[in-house]
Amino acid sequence: MNKSGNFKMKIKKIISSINNVKQLKAGIILLALIILLAIFAPLIATHDPFELNDDMVSPPSNNYILGTDGLGRDIFSGILYGARTSILIGVVAASISGIMGTLIGGISGFYGGKIDAVLSEVINVFLMMPTFFLILIIVALFGSSMFNVMVVIGITTWTGNARLMRAEALSLKQRTFVKSLETIGESKFKILLKHIIPNGIFPIIANTTMNVSDAILTESALSFLGLGDPNVMSWGQIVYNGKSYLTNGWWISTFSGIAIVLTVLAFYLIGDGMNNILSPKLNSNN
Amino acid sequence: MARYLRKRVLTGILVILVSLIINFSLIHLAPGNPINLLAGKDNPSQEMIDTLTKKYGLDKPIYVQFIHYIKTLLKGDLGYSIMSNEPVGKLILEKVGPTLLLALTSIILALVIGTALGILAARKRGSKFDIVMNGLSYLFDSTPNFWLGLMLILIFASKLKVFPTAGMVDLRTQSEGIAKVIDILWHLVLPLTTVTLIQIPYYFRIARSSVIQTMSEDFITTFRAAGMKENRIFNKYVFKNAILPTVTVFGINLAYVISGVAIIEIVFAWPGMGRLMMTAISKRDYPLLMGIYLLLSVSIAVCMIVVDVVYAIIDPRIRYD
Repeated sequence: MNKSGNFKMKIKKIISSINNVKQLKAGIILLALIILLAIFAPLIATHDPFELNDDMVSPPSNNYILGTDGLGRDIFSGILYGARTSILIGVVAASISGIMGTLIGGISGFYGGKIDAVLSEVINVFLMMPTFFLILIIVALFGSSMFNVMVVIGITTWTGNARLMRAEALSLKQRTFVKSLETIGESKFKILLKHIIPNGIFPIIANTTMNVSDAILTESALSFLGLGDPNVMSWGQIVYNGKSYLTNGWWISTFSGIAIVLTVLAFYLIGDGMNNILSPKLNSNN
Repeated sequence: MARYLRKRVLTGILVILVSLIINFSLIHLAPGNPINLLAGKDNPSQEMIDTLTKKYGLDKPIYVQFIHYIKTLLKGDLGYSIMSNEPVGKLILEKVGPTLLLALTSIILALVIGTALGILAARKRGSKFDIVMNGLSYLFDSTPNFWLGLMLILIFASKLKVFPTAGMVDLRTQSEGIAKVIDILWHLVLPLTTVTLIQIPYYFRIARSSVIQTMSEDFITTFRAAGMKENRIFNKYVFKNAILPTVTVFGINLAYVISGVAIIEIVFAWPGMGRLMMTAISKRDYPLLMGIYLLLSVSIAVCMIVVDVVYAIIDPRIRYD
């Protein structure tokens, strides 16, 4: 069979397995919609999300689809632009945590011995730390720029990934192909990068997708506590702004919160669906 | 057993040590000079600089400072709050009660309700109940806790006016005795519901999947084949095996619950440590902030170790990992 035929087969296989797992299908459709809205935000938005209109705390109407906040900013446009912030922070933070976890867990499991003993202890220690408070303090001390928030969430949440990768590495290094590579004198680090990590990465990808959800939730919580980046529009900030208008402007917090729920849900569904493909027996719901 | 215990306690000590190092380094790494951070203003008086320098040994090499820092902590001195000039330890102790009330009650409620729902869903796997519960668990897992709190305020306090919006007691009535207890419980309903609701999916999923897993074990199939009643199999063999994992989760969940409680306290103006922490952040009261963080990490580490050890006593398989 020629290469393109093979490729088509693969795509077909992927699509059919996506179709078989309901969560995955629902999550992908939901996420695709949200990403489209985020990309085309400038075209869809009815107002400039930062523009202060004269209609303050105005209820949803034809002009302001989801109403305005206490400063007269359009909520609908704010939510569209906020999607960009939330998804960017979520994906970057989760990727940092994925890469760190993969490397630390991979080295720990594959090298074994003293290195493993030390790194495992490091993982155990970090697992016991109250991460959210650490993030809170670092952001409070070092400033709440979007960059800081992403990096801090990333470097404090890698433990789950490290444990997964360590387990993968422990089992993969017993396999014949790894042993033969060692025998023919391939360097350990090269084996780790070229064979162990690529073969054991799938659970990490599933977990990282779920971590995007957690990162979005963490960022929104920081923004809600007033520790968000003031230079960007974020959902947590809109909820925070709406807190003081709960009685006379319910729409401010309500709609921005729904945006968070839907996005987080999309990533959870996808991550969970991927886990289902990995171990269908354990997770099957139906 | 002794070996396992030693190992866990060692990890616990390491956690505490790392928390100390992080705490110490943050003050020194943060932008600006530690004196300004500790004094809480940009231009502290010379007298203040001298006192602080002496107190924290800021003119000495960094490792001497660290040892000095640990020594002060061991004496129970967490430093003084910038806002109120009171000892940090005292300020925190005043706020521990309300936080524990909220955290512990919600953990117990979520554990019982979540586990019960999970077992029910697993036993009726594939039923409407199971599907709805699964859907709800996804939904609540995706809901930011602070937003859920706001929505409950919106519905039950602003619109229906059933429960109070904020605080722990009604300041206008100044009730005493039983009336005060009822007043506190009344104020507790909404924050407690919020913190419980966000934890339920966690226990639900663990209970559900461990029941399903145990049910598919070979020995259960054997009992079935031998004609044992389904209820008897469940009560005698499945239940105990399925309930065990929730205990471990209980420990891991703790840090998550405490951070959830902290945010919910802010939403409902509940006078606990979460609110104290936020005040410390907004007033740039670093000694107080660091004190709270240190106390939280140490107590969470201790609790997790205790849970691990208890679990190892209940389930001997754990010790041989």
